[in-house]
Formats: sequence, structure tokens, C-alpha cells
Amino acid sequence: MNKPTVLLFWAMFSLCLKAQITLGSTVDTFGVLAGSTVTSSGPTVVLGNLGVSPGTAITGFTGIAPGGPGLVSGAIHSADAFAGTAQAQLTTAYNSAAGAASSATVAGDLGGLTFTPGVYTSSSSLGITGTVTLDALGNSSAQFIFQISSTLTAANSSVVSLINGAQPSNVFWQVGSSATIGTSAVFSGNILAFSSISLGTGAVLQGRALARNGAVTLLSNTINTPAGLGGPPPPLVTPAPSSLILVTTALLGIFVYQGRNKLLKPFRTR
Amino acid sequence: MFEQWRTDEDMSHGFLVPVVILWVIWRERTRWRALPIEPSRWGLAFLASAAALHFAGALGVGLFAGSLAFLLSVAGAVLCLGGFGWLRALAFPFGLGLFMLPKLAIVYNQGTLPLQMLASRTAAGILTTAGIGVIREGNILDVGGHRVAVVEACNGIRYLLSLGFMAVVFGYLVDSKTWMRLALLVAAVPVAILANGVRVAAAGWLPSLEAGFPHAVSGWIIFVLCLATLMLLRQLFNKMYVHYRS
Repeated sequence: MNKPTVLLFWAMFSLCLKAQITLGSTVDTFGVLAGSTVTSSGPTVVLGNLGVSPGTAITGFTGIAPGGPGLVSGAIHSADAFAGTAQAQLTTAYNSAAGAASSATVAGDLGGLTFTPGVYTSSSSLGITGTVTLDALGNSSAQFIFQISSTLTAANSSVVSLINGAQPSNVFWQVGSSATIGTSAVFSGNILAFSSISLGTGAVLQGRALARNGAVTLLSNTINTPAGLGGPPPPLVTPAPSSLILVTTALLGIFVYQGRNKLLKPFRTR
Repeated sequence: MFEQWRTDEDMSHGFLVPVVILWVIWRERTRWRALPIEPSRWGLAFLASAAALHFAGALGVGLFAGSLAFLLSVAGAVLCLGGFGWLRALAFPFGLGLFMLPKLAIVYNQGTLPLQMLASRTAAGILTTAGIGVIREGNILDVGGHRVAVVEACNGIRYLLSLGFMAVVFGYLVDSKTWMRLALLVAAVPVAILANGVRVAAAGWLPSLEAGFPHAVSGWIIFVLCLATLMLLRQLFNKMYVHYRS
């Protein structure tokens, strides 16, 4: 293969790799999804759907045996087809996030650092102590993807702060094993974990806790699903009318303007 | 190009551009009929360049290159059959043809975010000036809890392309002075940007204008006002011209 052809293929390949990650329309509605069990203690609130598949056990929530103080604003899905579809879409999204072309490597603790949109790769475990800031630079569509080979551990009271238009729905934490969010932490983004996810007492998640194979364990948490059922309303979209309508109107307007003397003549002679 | 006009609402005016071009050619028929027919071999060079460009477009350079190749090949055919005199006579219709080309991806991708931010800032400025409290976070406006996102489709490129095209057509119809035609085209840029800001501000201020029929009508009325502004600007430019000449 000659050099220009190789370059052309590389350019096209790079463009493909830069494609944005999207969750499927089904998994998008879940605030919590696990592979084996969902367990909650205390007054957890999930704004969005909650489900498990292929496992069946869900404990600690009102509306499903054995009951509990936990509340779900959406529906609860236990090993049904809807949860199965969501798991399949989660796998696709997980693999897309894992396969995204890396723009930088990170290691150790992200506390105190600020990140702009991009794909950040960690070859081992990653921690968050204090505040990590994600700056979208004014672009609310910008994505942040963190590829973590092993575990993600957010310390107690740690914060993932989103600024300049960054949206929780556009932050992806692809975790190779398990994610642990500490007590009273305020975490943002979609956690896509291969194994399990645990949230400490009182931790708030602006995003989704999605575990492919393991459990999701909750302790008096609030999970606010972006644009999901019961979540905050998404900002409105305001496109202009199509350019065909605009130009047709304008052409008619100009022709009327040009022919105004003829059009007004009958009125003037009277 | 047809597919682009059909699927991209920024470019759907492309259906009207060939109609306007044909109408302009018909309107100028006495002018080009009087021209001598002097075929030029340069036309073959144009055709060869167009073929190369089309080939590059087919290889993956992009739809823009392929579409530009179409215009270039028509220009080559005119040169081959009529010569440079004919090409000069048809220069304006060819210029209009640029408005039906697909958006150049490199420019569009680089320009869309700054335009979104400009629309957001303009709308926030308009609302603040009008005494309406607004919080702007990037491209999201929060007007008393009512949130409006200035997404890619709201960046104003639709107003820019449509009003730019209309400024050229309007200039051609009402004024023979080249500087006036250029001035109208240049004036269309800030007018379109400001109008888009007004449109976003209106959608933020009045939730009833945020979607559906009222939203479409408000966008349409603002565009008509843009056109009226261009007509007023033309009169203003003319008065300034007469004043300075006297």
C-alpha cells in the first residue's frame, strides 16, 4: 500500500475513533443497573429506572419484595427483557468507551486537577481525593472519557465538579474492575464498571451507576439520572426554521418589494 | 447535493438556488446572446481539474470537493463552448452556485462552537439589557429556571447562509453598484448573528416560543425583519453615498 493511501486510511480511522460515546436509549433511562444484585440500606432515592440483569436480587426499595425505605422514581426491572436490553447496550457503551482513542494518560490521584474534554487513560487504579474539575470550555456536548484499567476510588467528601457547560451525561468513567465512591462524596458522570459499584453513606451521584457483572451497593444515596425518568429536564433545543422556508419567504418578499409600484398602482389612482 | 439539501435543514435552500440561477440567466439573456462564440481550450483544463477534484472527493476528501467539481465542470463546459466572454457573463450565476455547495466540514466544525458561544453571549446580553435575569453557563442559558441550550443547530449558520444568499440576490436586483452588493453581503453577517441572538433570547424569555408552531413562526418573523433591515441598510448606504459625493 502506498504512503498517501495509508495516510488516507489512517485519517479515516482516526475520525472513526473520535466518534462520540452514546448510551443506548434503554440504558439511558436507568439510574442504577447491576449484573448480579442491587442492595440498598437507608433512604436511597433513585431518580430514573433501577434494574438488574442477568441477576434478580433487588433489596431495600419500596415496591419490590422484601421492601425497604429506598425510593425509585421510575420503574424497577428485575431480570426482564428491558433490563436485558439495557445490559446489552451497557456492554456496547462500555466497549466503545474502552476503545476510544486516548488523548492523554493519567495516574494516581486526580484530586486538585482540571480536565478539558478528551479521553484519559489510566493503566492501573485511579483515585479522587478532594475536587477534580471537568471544564467543558463552554461546549455542553463535549465528552470526558476516563479509561481506568483497574479500580476507581473516590475518597470521602470528594467532588467531581463540572464547569463551563459540562454535563453529567457526557462524562464516562469506564472502570476495568470496581468503583467505590466514598461517604458524602458528590460524584458526577456515568460509571460503567465491569464488576461492581459501591456508594458510601450519603454520597450523591449526578449520573448513573451501571455495573455489567457485579453488584451495586447503596447507602442512603441520591442518584440523579441526567435526562432520565424523574431527572432534571434537559435544556431545550432551539433550532431556526429550515433555510428552505426562510429563503422562500425572503424571495417572495423581495419580489413583492420589487413589484410594489405595480401592486400599489390601483390604490394610488383611486 | 440533493441528499444534503434534503437531510440538512441548514442547506435545504439549495433546492431554490438552481431555480434562482436559471432565472438570473434568463433575465440576462439579451446580454449573453450578443456575445461572440469563441471556444477556449482552457475549458479542457477546467474539465480535467474538475474530474481530478471529483475523483478526490470520491476517494474520501469529502462531499464539498465533489460538489465544487460539479460547478467547475460546468464552468469548463461554458469555456469549451462559448469562451471567456461567456464565462464572465455568467460569473454571477456561478457565484450564486456557491450557496448550494455543502458546508465545508473543516470550516463548519471549527466555526460551529464559536458561533454557538456567540449566540449564547448575544442572547444573554440582550436579556440582561432588557432587565431580564439570566445565568449563562457555556452555551446554556437559565432564565428564571427555564433552561435553553444553544446547540449546534442553533449556532446561526442557517440564518447566515440564508441571509447571505438573499443579500446577494437582493443586491443584484436593486442595485448595480458592486460596492453596494458587497456591502449588503458583509452587512448580512452581523445582522444574521444578532437576529439569531434575538431568537434565542426570545425562546429563553418566553417559554411559549420554545417549540412547535410559535417557535417556527417567531424564527420566521425575525428572519423577515432581517430582510427588512437589509432593505433599510441599503437606503442608508445610498444616502451616505449621496451625502459624501455632494
